[in-house]
Amino acid sequence: MSESFAVSVEEVSKSFGRLKALDGVTLRVPKGEIYGLLGPNGAGKTTLIRLICGLLEAQSGTVNVLGERMPQVGVLRHIGYMTQQAALYPALSVEENVRFFAAINGAEDGVKEALQLVQLYDRRSSVVQTLSGGMRQRCSLACALVHRPELLLLDEPTVGVDPQLRVQFWESFRQMAANGTTMIVSSHVMDEADRCKRLGLIQYGRLLAEGTPAEIRTMGGSQNLEEAFLALAGRKTDS
Amino acid sequence: MSGHRIAAITRRLLQGFRRDRRTLALLFVAPIVILGLLGYLMRGSSSAPAVGIANEDTGQLGAIVASSLHHSPRISATDISAADGDAKLRDGSLTAYIVIPADFSATAATGSVALEVHVEGSQPGEDAPVVQALQQATIATATLVAGRSVNFSLKIDHLYGGPNYDTLDYFGAAFIGLIVFFLVFVITIVSFLNERTQGTLERLMASPLRRGEIVVGYMLGFTVLAVIQSVEVLAFALAVLRIHNQGNVLLIFGMEALMAIAAVNLGIFLSMFARSEFQAVQFIPLAIVPQVLLSGVIFPVSTEPTALQWLSDVLPLTYAVNGMRDIMVKGADLSWSSLQLDLAVVAGFVILFIAAGTATLRRRLA
Repeated sequence: MSESFAVSVEEVSKSFGRLKALDGVTLRVPKGEIYGLLGPNGAGKTTLIRLICGLLEAQSGTVNVLGERMPQVGVLRHIGYMTQQAALYPALSVEENVRFFAAINGAEDGVKEALQLVQLYDRRSSVVQTLSGGMRQRCSLACALVHRPELLLLDEPTVGVDPQLRVQFWESFRQMAANGTTMIVSSHVMDEADRCKRLGLIQYGRLLAEGTPAEIRTMGGSQNLEEAFLALAGRKTDS
Repeated sequence: MSGHRIAAITRRLLQGFRRDRRTLALLFVAPIVILGLLGYLMRGSSSAPAVGIANEDTGQLGAIVASSLHHSPRISATDISAADGDAKLRDGSLTAYIVIPADFSATAATGSVALEVHVEGSQPGEDAPVVQALQQATIATATLVAGRSVNFSLKIDHLYGGPNYDTLDYFGAAFIGLIVFFLVFVITIVSFLNERTQGTLERLMASPLRRGEIVVGYMLGFTVLAVIQSVEVLAFALAVLRIHNQGNVLLIFGMEALMAIAAVNLGIFLSMFARSEFQAVQFIPLAIVPQVLLSGVIFPVSTEPTALQWLSDVLPLTYAVNGMRDIMVKGADLSWSSLQLDLAVVAGFVILFIAAGTATLRRRLA
């Protein structure tokens, strides 16, 4: 396994009862890359992310993260994970939430920077349960990146975030990637997909197609990324 | 009012229950289990207290009183020697013993005579059947003393408690621990469930935190609250309610704290088996009510039907309640083997619950 890959998933399968959530998925993400995981609801995106951060164990295949075979507790210090639902403590303030996640990662010095990044520094004393959905999402992002992780796993990070802020989020992601942070972002918003360096299309637990946005367009035979995806997804399910 | 709309609400409600089998089971099974348990406890209990009779009378009257006591349905009498009496009260084999003095017949002839009754005393009202049995025995005997009316008096001596000892003193000692156990359990199970349902537990599991650290962190956090609550409950019980206390306050507090820690870990463990706060609250009738009925808080374990005594013997609250009463009512200290056992068993359950709570975290997320 090359050290230059932040994440390498090899032939991974995972079932929940009779449901095959992932079926022989192989995927490698080099350091500093923003990798977009695309696919419809229930395709297996979240399962894949949970396997990468060690919350689940694969039934077959291997997951290596930052040079370590997962699940491995030591690596978790270098991973930031933003869950799909804004997982926060509703009775704590924004700053208290971020400070808590900083403390369990031993990185209290990153609190102010994280709050500024998500533009919640002025609202840091607000109690989370009084915040709008978008603000919670931002607070959740701050909690995921407060310890400056080498690998950031973002499960649909921009759900409920307004378009203006979404642009700012992606600008921050781009900067973090430039500084060497690897990111795996799941989404089903196509204009976000276009901002990723490479994309993987997942459907029914399988990786249907992988490549840069331009390559995906060519494969799908359309200049429109959404149409290209629909074409790829349809082709695979028909066969 | 639209019947159609009302029917929609009713139907929606019943549809929800159809998928929640556990709630249905609770609704229809729990009342039978709890009432059945209560019925078995009350009807099946042996009610006649064990009473020792030490007949030291050199005359004949003592034997008549003793025989009458042996035939009394209110008590279960055995002959003992007066010297063994206190020891038998302490080890719990007797509820009371009666000493018929050596000069009993001789003094009765003078018209007034006293009987000594030694009562264990930790349970209020337990001397009532003894006194009743004695009164019947003496009335029967009085008619046998020819020619004069004899005035029998009872000299009652309490090993524990004393004459001012009342029901609150008895129940209070157990309830101090029980209240803390119950409230801490409910708060922990709901908070830990929130940790699971709001997704933060998943986040914690994807952080460098170890499972043991999560459980111990939780335990310490709730212990801080539980300790403050314990101090408050104890101060109120002792200073305002003036519940009888013979023991060391620090020991009571220690037992309360152990119960609180046990409750925290039981809550973490059981939260795994609940998917909603609704289901979590259902653990109260399942995990708490039978323990309250069987731990001796209300009905002494020694009077339970034998099969239920076996069950009582494996419940942590049984030991906690017994320990609290030993300390507060009997003034037990750490040199008492019964208190050592109670503390050790409760501590053992704490360790068991910590292990179970920690193991639970992996199972839920793996």
